[in-house]
Amino acid sequence: MKYAFFPGCAVHASAKEYGMSCKAISKVLGIELIEIPEWNCCGSIDAIYAHNPVLSISLSARNLSLAEKMGTDVITLCSACFFTLSRANKLMHEDPKLKGQVDNVLGNLKLNYNGEIKVRHFLDVLLNDVGLEKISENVKVPLKELRVAPYYGCLLVRPPEIANFDEPEHPTSMDKLMEVLGATNVNYLDKTRCCGASLIVTKERIALEMTKNLLLTAKNAEADCIVTACPMCHFNLDAMQKDVESTFDVDINLPVLYITQVIGIAFGLNVKELGLNRNCVSPMKLLSKLKI
Amino acid sequence: MKPKQFQKIVSEVRDQSFTEEVQKLRGGENILDCIQCGVCSGSCPARFAMDFSPMQIIKMIHLGMRDQVLSSSTIWICASCYTCATRCPRGIDIPMFMSALKNIAIKNGFASDDEIKPKFHKSFTEIIRKYGRMHEPELKMKLMRKSDLRELYQNAVLAFRLWRKGKVKLLAPRMDQLSHISEIFEDLLEKQEEEASK
Repeated sequence: MKYAFFPGCAVHASAKEYGMSCKAISKVLGIELIEIPEWNCCGSIDAIYAHNPVLSISLSARNLSLAEKMGTDVITLCSACFFTLSRANKLMHEDPKLKGQVDNVLGNLKLNYNGEIKVRHFLDVLLNDVGLEKISENVKVPLKELRVAPYYGCLLVRPPEIANFDEPEHPTSMDKLMEVLGATNVNYLDKTRCCGASLIVTKERIALEMTKNLLLTAKNAEADCIVTACPMCHFNLDAMQKDVESTFDVDINLPVLYITQVIGIAFGLNVKELGLNRNCVSPMKLLSKLKI
Repeated sequence: MKPKQFQKIVSEVRDQSFTEEVQKLRGGENILDCIQCGVCSGSCPARFAMDFSPMQIIKMIHLGMRDQVLSSSTIWICASCYTCATRCPRGIDIPMFMSALKNIAIKNGFASDDEIKPKFHKSFTEIIRKYGRMHEPELKMKLMRKSDLRELYQNAVLAFRLWRKGKVKLLAPRMDQLSHISEIFEDLLEKQEEEASK
């Protein structure tokens, strides 16, 4: 299994552990991810788009064109990049005028894009290309004692015209993966409720309130950790958790792990290799529960 | 956060050309299809912080309430999470037209002075132009109100927490083909600015 890999800005900076753990489990599962050489910002959901839509779509299209040259679909780790690149793909397909404008821009760079590739999230690859069976074959440490709250958030499963590998209202892809690893999924309501990450830089108080509600419902469902597949959600839920606690005077202390880290733990991979020492809310207590 | 005092819609000046303008925007094509069912507003996770709900914004667009729509907090608070659009029985792409409304509000100076979002959009775009990729610390620095001591302190605490976990990448990202990015920006941003100044 070989794919063009679009890491996105966060995975190269604040979310390195997501990239590390993704690489580690890909090696075990025989997934070959080849980073798109000279990739650029995906185009952003809204920050550049609201400023100048064609600019945002052209930035996406440059990445898509580079990936198309590699002859494979694009895989992203970030839900926001997944949405932005897919949206560009869809809009260029539907709107010939827009496609013409973007073609002009790409032409100046001696690039072209035929629209022949798909943008996919790594979770989709795990579930539908690798398959649950192969994942379960590699489980060395069943996560028997672990109660997890799979958190899907927004753009991983929505809108259905773009993110179509799972159900938008009741997604189950991560739940299925967790079951295969031996973990128990807790029943909680907010698994697709927006965490507010896109507001954390500009409207921190609003974003923190959204994050708080989510963290508390997972905590009240007696989860040992939240599992996420997006660096934006992770930053908000993990790195900002201390701010949620101090702003609202609540005690949460709930580890937030990347799906790739949880799979890596079950595969018996090294804690350092999975970057578990980089999570802000320490997962060490949780690991000792699993006797790691 | 205490829920805001929700506002009632009082339409005084109706500008039907605004309705038509929105219908021409991406996401606004079918805005007249709205049946005011309220599913968008009931689903919106950020509704508690908005002055008008998404459903009200649509009604206000129907009524041609240009100034009130473009100066509402709603358009800046929408987090583009797509809960509303996923559930809308009329298939209206609400986050998409919210984005387009932001664009109009920025261009026409509708955002209030304490609204940080226009600056965010501008700074974000500048950083991508400069490096081709995001440089998180620089974005934060650009947006920080340096006169607010409390904010400076909170940011320092956050930066320390992130730095300890190796999450602060001080070195700016580097691309060899940065000329590609410059060309894309020259093609699109400058052309647009030229047109706007005409």
